[in-house]
Amino acid sequence: MQKILIVEDDEKLRNEVEIFFNNNGYNAESLKKFDNTIEDIININPDLILLDINLPGTDGEYVCKEIRKKSNVPIIIVTSRDNELDELLCINYGADHYITKPFNIQILLAKTNSLLRRSNMEKVQDKIYTKDFIINLSNSTIIKNDKVIELTKNELKILKYLTEKRNQIVSREEIMDYLWESESFIDDNTLTVNITRLRNKLEELKLKELLETRRGQGYILR
Amino acid sequence: MNFISFIKDKILQISLIIFGIITIEIFLLAYPYGNFIRIYIPLSIFTLYFVSIILEYFNKKRYYDNIYRLLSELEERYLITEIIEESNFLEGKILNEILEQVDKSMNDHVNEYKYLQEDYKEYIEMWIHEIKIPIATSKMIIENNKNEVTSSLDEELDKVENYVEQALYYARSNTANKDYYIKKNKIEDIVNDCIKKNKKVLITEKIAINTHDLNLYVNTDSKWIIFILNQIIQNSIKYRKNDGKSKIEITAKKGKENVILYIRDNGMGIRDGEVTNVFEKGFTGTNGRRINKKSTGIGLYLCKKLCDKLGIGLELDSIQNEGTEVRFIFPNSSYIEMN
Repeated sequence: MQKILIVEDDEKLRNEVEIFFNNNGYNAESLKKFDNTIEDIININPDLILLDINLPGTDGEYVCKEIRKKSNVPIIIVTSRDNELDELLCINYGADHYITKPFNIQILLAKTNSLLRRSNMEKVQDKIYTKDFIINLSNSTIIKNDKVIELTKNELKILKYLTEKRNQIVSREEIMDYLWESESFIDDNTLTVNITRLRNKLEELKLKELLETRRGQGYILR
Repeated sequence: MNFISFIKDKILQISLIIFGIITIEIFLLAYPYGNFIRIYIPLSIFTLYFVSIILEYFNKKRYYDNIYRLLSELEERYLITEIIEESNFLEGKILNEILEQVDKSMNDHVNEYKYLQEDYKEYIEMWIHEIKIPIATSKMIIENNKNEVTSSLDEELDKVENYVEQALYYARSNTANKDYYIKKNKIEDIVNDCIKKNKKVLITEKIAINTHDLNLYVNTDSKWIIFILNQIIQNSIKYRKNDGKSKIEITAKKGKENVILYIRDNGMGIRDGEVTNVFEKGFTGTNGRRINKKSTGIGLYLCKKLCDKLGIGLELDSIQNEGTEVRFIFPNSSYIEMN
């Protein structure tokens, strides 16, 4: 399990963030004393650091700069200072992302995931294998045996999301939320159209029964 | 300063001189002097006096006219003491000295207020950074304990966050200092960021978003412009028609000298006579006074003020019951071409 270190002086906030990351498959830990911040961080040797700027006795920009001298660990700055200059300074000191409080925790989680994936040198996954079909993300197609069908950008995103949440009911709002977060601002009708098209394409692969509609609840990919 | 008023001012002196000349003349007539002396002495006194008064008039006139001319040329008139010329007569010197002292005292006074305002702004900024931590903590608690009650609280917290943000930018808009940092930004990123901020309400209220042609760059402070754009989008959401067909279109166009960003909605629009007033502080209009809209009349006023500071044009057109179009005009600068 990957270790995330939370460097934040507000006790309640860091506890909640810790709980959140622990619930989301990480091993979150937080720094409780700030007398020897830099050494402590190096000793803990985390896979990723969430760093506040306003810290007792020191400041995050300095910490960030010092850690960069010794390590390449991904650093996400989480701060309530929201001006462009601070952001630029932190990025120049080697921070990977800059997020302002109050933050959207889902965005923080997404950024954490993507940073860790990159820092682990995992190749960007371009194919998703499932028991009955393959999604090729690089050319936006769905493959079963030798049959290949092209998907539009939104259909691909929807199918990918449903595959990630396989065997769970996914509400329309959740799908919309996911699409909007990836900057496809589609409306309710377009979603219906997209789902219908996706279902037709699945039918061409004789996979129609996989995508079920649960009235009033959403969709489920079997 | 004209000659007549100058002479009027000298009337006592002149009458004394005339009285003196007459007295001398009486003396001269009482003794057996020649006619030449009787005429020469009074005439020379009169001529000398007259010449001196004329010289004085032209000297003063030149000096005061110069001050008036400088005053009319100056935009900040209190700066007159910095460029006023040294006077060669006593009254002018006294005037300069008085002006200097008045100016200095006024400057001290103004500086004191500038300092107070800056101080207050700093306090507000600090306070806002502090308040953001409990907001962030509350949001985390909600995230870790999701249910109907907490997600309703979450919506309220979003409002709190919004008001806090408005206070921050209000404080920033009032100071003379530059708080922003200009860099090159892609319009698409700015717009997407704003839409994502309002994602929750846009999705639940089924408001259609149509963004296109946003692949353009502008030079501005992204944080400021996101705040401003966010106010505009929130207005579009707030003043939508409740017919389930609400939509917001956001697009941009590159002109010869500028880049224009359009935000169009099909909301309730603004009454004809009120469009010109929307950027005034405290103006709420007919829409704002409707029940449960609770307009403060600050949003657009603040947008305009911040845009002015950033050098961005902000325009608004509206047709009642049809919709509103807001335009941001980003002027090209030589800096853009350099990059």
